[in-house]
Amino acid sequence: MNSDKKTIGIAASNASALANIASIGRFASELDAAKFAMAYTIKEEVSIGSFDSVDTKWNVGSFDPDGSMRSLLEALFPDTTEPYRLAESLMNEGIKRLDEALSSNGDFYETLFSSK
Amino acid sequence: MLQIKALHLENFGPFKGRQIINFSSDDGVTIIYGENMRGKTSLLNAIRFVFFGKVIGRSTKNMPLHKVGNWEEASAGRYGFSVRLDFDDSGHNYELTRRCVLKSGISAPSSDDDYGIEHYLKKDGDVLGPQQSQAELKRILPEQISRFFLFDGELLQEYEDLLSSETDMGRKISEAIERILGVPVLTSARATLHHLKEKSEHREATAAQGDQKTREFGNQLADLHAQRKELGKELERLESDLDRARSQKASLEEAMKKKERVAALLEKRDTIEKLLKQIESKRVAKESEVQQAMSSAWCALLTETLRETNKSLRARESTLQTELMRADVLKSLQVNAGAACPACMQDVSSEAQERLLASLHCLSITDRSEKDRELSTLRRKITALQQHEESGRAAVLKVLWNGLEEILIDYSAKRSEREEIDKQLENVDEEALRKTKFDFENIIRQIDVIEKGITKTRATLDENISDTEAIQKRLNKLSIGSVDGERKRRQFFSDLHSLFKDAVGAYREQLRKRVEADASTHFQALTTEPEYAGLQINGSYGLTIRHRDGSLIPVRSAGAEHVVALCLMGALQNNAPLRGPIVIDSPFGRLDRGHTRNIVRALPTMTKQVVLLVYDDELPPDLARSELKGKLRGEWMLERVTARHTNLAALKE
Repeated sequence: MNSDKKTIGIAASNASALANIASIGRFASELDAAKFAMAYTIKEEVSIGSFDSVDTKWNVGSFDPDGSMRSLLEALFPDTTEPYRLAESLMNEGIKRLDEALSSNGDFYETLFSSK
Repeated sequence: MLQIKALHLENFGPFKGRQIINFSSDDGVTIIYGENMRGKTSLLNAIRFVFFGKVIGRSTKNMPLHKVGNWEEASAGRYGFSVRLDFDDSGHNYELTRRCVLKSGISAPSSDDDYGIEHYLKKDGDVLGPQQSQAELKRILPEQISRFFLFDGELLQEYEDLLSSETDMGRKISEAIERILGVPVLTSARATLHHLKEKSEHREATAAQGDQKTREFGNQLADLHAQRKELGKELERLESDLDRARSQKASLEEAMKKKERVAALLEKRDTIEKLLKQIESKRVAKESEVQQAMSSAWCALLTETLRETNKSLRARESTLQTELMRADVLKSLQVNAGAACPACMQDVSSEAQERLLASLHCLSITDRSEKDRELSTLRRKITALQQHEESGRAAVLKVLWNGLEEILIDYSAKRSEREEIDKQLENVDEEALRKTKFDFENIIRQIDVIEKGITKTRATLDENISDTEAIQKRLNKLSIGSVDGERKRRQFFSDLHSLFKDAVGAYREQLRKRVEADASTHFQALTTEPEYAGLQINGSYGLTIRHRDGSLIPVRSAGAEHVVALCLMGALQNNAPLRGPIVIDSPFGRLDRGHTRNIVRALPTMTKQVVLLVYDDELPPDLARSELKGKLRGEWMLERVTARHTNLAALKE
């Protein structure tokens, strides 16, 4: 039986950071910003830390309407059996790290366009 | 001729305490060197103060005397200052002292009202009374012509206005030039003769009225005379109105000039406001474009990772496809066992068939469906990867971000510009600006009406004169004893008036020619351009450079303007009944070394005593010494003690 998440949530400690990233990054929604944070974690290849309980923000239908996100995560992380849970962790880790990075040099443009 | 011997200063400007400059009694040039803010202009102002009780600031307006005293002394509670000038004139020895002292009971002055001015003039050791002293000073150096003796090099630019008879400054300078050249002596005589002529005409008319034969003519003449008198008064009133209106126009022009800047600022602010609105709507549109594009920014961040993963998945897809194809071929061989060989269409022997079947390892049904599932999953992943890889257009995002950044920078720059203008417009009264413009347009209309009135009055006056002359001709034919005497008197004054009238014109023409010739001589000595032949004068004493081919040079630089103005100064000194020393502040600031050299060399030919207030770079001491040689009569240095204290020191050879 599939135990993957049906909703995606953001840790309470990340809530204001997400709003900040959405504003600085000129995202139309926090969901776009959260996806960006997820990609940031993947790109930086950082290990995922642990987070407190999360507050539900989106259901997976909003997060991944056509299922392509799930396919993509499965492609990138072949061992994962719960891609949405993974997405949630990647997002939270990314929000935390992006917020730290932006606080130290404050340049979103660099983060967006510099290649690692 | 006025010859300065010594200037004594006490707490005047930066000259703290009592200080003195002695000037040589021999003809030549004295140079006072001083860097900026050391007190060169203060020295020029000290001479102005001692003569006229005025100190002029950089804007050519009078400076409050309260601000002229030495600051260090003032901060120590000692206010006021004094200047004494020792000079010779027409064989007499003078000592002119002017003091600015605190009024009794005032200990902390705040304006000029807290000071009193005292002055006295000693002539050959005797103190003159106030009226006599005023008369002497007016004769020695009238204030109206002081601009030709004491001047700031920077203000030589004003002389360009002489080329245009329209400007009030040009008219003012032109009048001052005629004053220094002595024209008013003749014009006053002409006015007196005109008055006497008028008086004699009235007497003639009265005499004619006394005899029955000539009474009718006498009455007509008396009427015409009375009318002429009224017309004269009217003309005088109109001319004085015109003068007043012109000076009002000049001050409004000045105010307009100041407010022109404000008007331009207001216009600029409106333009910037419009631009800001345009940029703002561009910003909103671009921001929404960026927001839309940012929904796939995460894909752009992963482009490389997605590409690599896609590549490896495609390799696996290819391997799986090959495996499955091979399995299909083997399966078909198994199914078709016993049939002819599909390649050569020959029968396959039973032995061969057995060997073949033994060597085939076909996939089981379970394996097969496993592989099919894997391939399907792989294809799903590849499709997803490809879809998101294509969405991640980093280059497009960058163009959009850069575009938005440019708009924001532009917006911010324009907003700063507007804020800067707002600051400058703080306390600006827009209503006052409109009023000045309205008043200016009004005064232009008034001047036009007055000028038309003057023309009309003059025409009526001419008519009156011609009618008077016609009656006088008829009266001349009648010989009456009492009228004859008055007629002769009238004729005498009339002839004299005509003579002086012509003399004024002739003298002016002569003066212009002499000034033009002398200014040209100076110009040839001063200019470094060999193709320039001289200067040509106009009716207002404005000078234009003449090329050797006879053509006039229509425009000239600020430097050339200074050279021409100095030539005019020299020519006026040569032709004026009243001569004196020239004291110039910073005359070479706009001139190149060649012109500076020529001017320094020519200065001793312009007048007997010249005092130059310069800074080292403007006139290097070596250059001055080599050009002036024996004509250099003294060198002084303004030495800094503190920012508010300068000492006068004579330079030793």
